[in-house]
Amino acid sequence: MMTLLIGGSGCGKSSYAESMAVRMPMPRYYLAAMRPFGEGGMEKVKKHRLMRSGKGFETIERYTDYASLKLPVQGGTALLECICNLTANEMYDDSGSMSDPVERVLAGVRNMKSQCGELIVITNDVGSDSAGYDLSTRAYIKALGRINMELAQMADNVYELVAGIPIVLKGELELI
Amino acid sequence: MILIIGAEASGKREFAKGLGYAEKDFADAALDEKRVVYNVQNIVFDDPDRVEALYNELIKKDVVICNEVGSGIIPVDRKTRLGREAAGRLCVLLAKKADAVVRMVCGIPNIIKGEL
Repeated sequence: MMTLLIGGSGCGKSSYAESMAVRMPMPRYYLAAMRPFGEGGMEKVKKHRLMRSGKGFETIERYTDYASLKLPVQGGTALLECICNLTANEMYDDSGSMSDPVERVLAGVRNMKSQCGELIVITNDVGSDSAGYDLSTRAYIKALGRINMELAQMADNVYELVAGIPIVLKGELELI
Repeated sequence: MILIIGAEASGKREFAKGLGYAEKDFADAALDEKRVVYNVQNIVFDDPDRVEALYNELIKKDVVICNEVGSGIIPVDRKTRLGREAAGRLCVLLAKKADAVVRMVCGIPNIIKGEL
């Protein structure tokens, strides 16, 4: 089963995902796509680490190329957080030059899905705010929007998190 | 307590009036004796660190109205970023405590928790 969770900042995606994952089979991998970059990144990574501690997750920090990742044990549970970071990481290389990340991100998720009994994927809604961004940001918003649509197609369940409450957009709600 | 969330100008206050509250019952981003408070996100953005104290005051209200501010590109500016995140977290906490949560989308109420 694959579940996609979408929502804005601070809507409770991570804690909902974790409460789902802890009821799923071991081993439980936490696939961390967020580069602890700058002050904001480090704060977020620390907060998420604290939230996950003691819940039986094995963390794999990987910022790009999930397409070639082989999980140590097949058939368990993985929580991939977050597609918005993975997309940015795949889109801009270290020199800052830009390329289309869509296929690389999707190939990575497909690969994870093929190795997990349960895959939970967290993504973000970055398309719902004001216009007027520069070209590169607009390209990112478009790429992530396209990726989200493809992931929703792949997923069995899609939930939007609103104030910590899951709204079923596709599939069924698994009661937790 | 009833929590009403949604985008700017999505019909949150109009919906609250339909629950029987009048203009005089509404406080704009202020904690006073009024039964309904709206623009709670503005209180959070003024001071993202006081969410806990704010929560304790808000749960005494009849109706709490807060904009959903977490969607879109994550701001580079630290204060805006933290404010946005804190407003989201506050809504998660309020939603847990609320008897009902209503999410407004273009004037249409979706009751996503409890009943009215």
